[in-house]
Amino acid sequence: MKSFLKYILSITFLMGISASALAGGWVQKKGHGFFKLSQWWVIADQHFTDRGLIDPNTTNGIFNTSIYAEYGFSSRLTAIAYVPVFSRAYFNNTISGTTGELLVPGEAINGLGDVDVSLKYGLVTDGPVAVSASLLLGLPLGNASGGTAGNLQTGDGEFNQLLQIDAGKGFKVGKLNAYANAYVGFNNRTNGFSDEIRYGIEGGLTFLNEKVTGILRLYGIQSFKNGELTGGNSTSIFANNSQHLTFSPEINYHLNDRWGASFTYGTALAGQIIFANPSYSVGVFFKL
Amino acid sequence: MCSLAINLNLSVIFMKTKIIGALLLPFILAGCIGDDIIFDEVDAQVRFVLWVDTLGVDDSFQFEVRYTNQIGEVEEPALTWISSDTSLFTVDDTGLATGIAKGDAYLVCEVEISDRPTVRDTAFVVIAGETGMQNLATERTGTLKTTSSYVLEGAFKLKEEGSGLVLELESDYKASSSLPGLYVYLTNNPNSTNGAYEIGKVRTFSGSHSFDISGVNLNDFDYVLYFCKPFGVKVGDGKFEN
Repeated sequence: MKSFLKYILSITFLMGISASALAGGWVQKKGHGFFKLSQWWVIADQHFTDRGLIDPNTTNGIFNTSIYAEYGFSSRLTAIAYVPVFSRAYFNNTISGTTGELLVPGEAINGLGDVDVSLKYGLVTDGPVAVSASLLLGLPLGNASGGTAGNLQTGDGEFNQLLQIDAGKGFKVGKLNAYANAYVGFNNRTNGFSDEIRYGIEGGLTFLNEKVTGILRLYGIQSFKNGELTGGNSTSIFANNSQHLTFSPEINYHLNDRWGASFTYGTALAGQIIFANPSYSVGVFFKL
Repeated sequence: MCSLAINLNLSVIFMKTKIIGALLLPFILAGCIGDDIIFDEVDAQVRFVLWVDTLGVDDSFQFEVRYTNQIGEVEEPALTWISSDTSLFTVDDTGLATGIAKGDAYLVCEVEISDRPTVRDTAFVVIAGETGMQNLATERTGTLKTTSSYVLEGAFKLKEEGSGLVLELESDYKASSSLPGLYVYLTNNPNSTNGAYEIGKVRTFSGSHSFDISGVNLNDFDYVLYFCKPFGVKVGDGKFEN
């Protein structure tokens, strides 16, 4: 059961732009690993304002092709990396509805995104509830000011450190394997960005002869709004003081013991200074 | 046996390649730059920018107007000048008016637009003993209002100072500091930054402050516009009231 949970919680990682979930309260066994190639994207023509209302905006798109990797160095210590190896950000042409004239030409940038590396330590690995602590370093390797006006980003341009506690528990629903996990973390941000509390809960259930795992996830970011940066040039999802509460269902299909595919949908239920359109992700994963 | 193993491996590789291809397909299809159509039509208008209230008998004065089209661009179309009483004053097709006899009358300037109503502006003119001072405003005022969910309010004043202009925001000014990249413009079309004069990035979000402006004239624009560049969204505007 624990092995199953490790597996499931490993594959639940698909936050697309953030490694905030860090795969739950379980750690990898020594020499074991989990690897995932995924494509995450959001195309947004509206956003949550600072009052939580929804306003329109020029259509922006962000696409991340990423590699996520977990590897167990010991029975308690797991190293994790999230590398958006190819990130594309663009905004649409703005066309006059009166004259048909091109008013603002669209632009796009391509490059590496911000990389997250983290170490997760299993505080409780044998109890009824698995508890782990993680330290994540957000490396600003993406482009924080691309495009003619500097308003296209593949990263936020700041080095952040996230300290997170996860707790997870496996259980049965009838004859089906299930799990639940919760986490909370403090994200210390630099370069004038506000610090954040990151939190989330999720539950998963495996069915159809252990071929399919369905996951429901609710997670969010609460900004302390204590940063000095005002009037930056970043679009959501990289803007300062952005916060959200997101609901994200996910389906994982297990091709065999090692390979599988996942499909994730995410929609913000509430937010401030962040895109208000759904995000999508598809991926293939491999278990070592 | 070996052949079977190779075939199986090739099948697995082919299957994984297809999966990866399927992964990249939405990226390829959706990652292209598309078009956003904005509704940027405004009312075309003609407005007196140089005029006198009092025109002297036997004096002449060159009236001037400015015309902006349906997207707020300044154009120089054919103008029709009309005197409401040609026994009091006459006007030629360039806007040069000449006083004939004392009295009150109107000067009308019209622009005909195909398939649309004619636009016009009217000046009240007193024909008297001598021509009065030119009506050249030295400052213009207005009030900001939000057109979005973001806070934007306060009075403003655009005035001549030295060889340039100064846009002054009064003490009741307030704007949201949450927006990434809020910019202020002078424009004739509050629905778009097309053809607008970019004054600069907003760095003060409450209270009185000012922007120095050069290269434009006091009467060139009708609106102050606040626009968020990164989001490409209008935040609010204020029309000059004079």
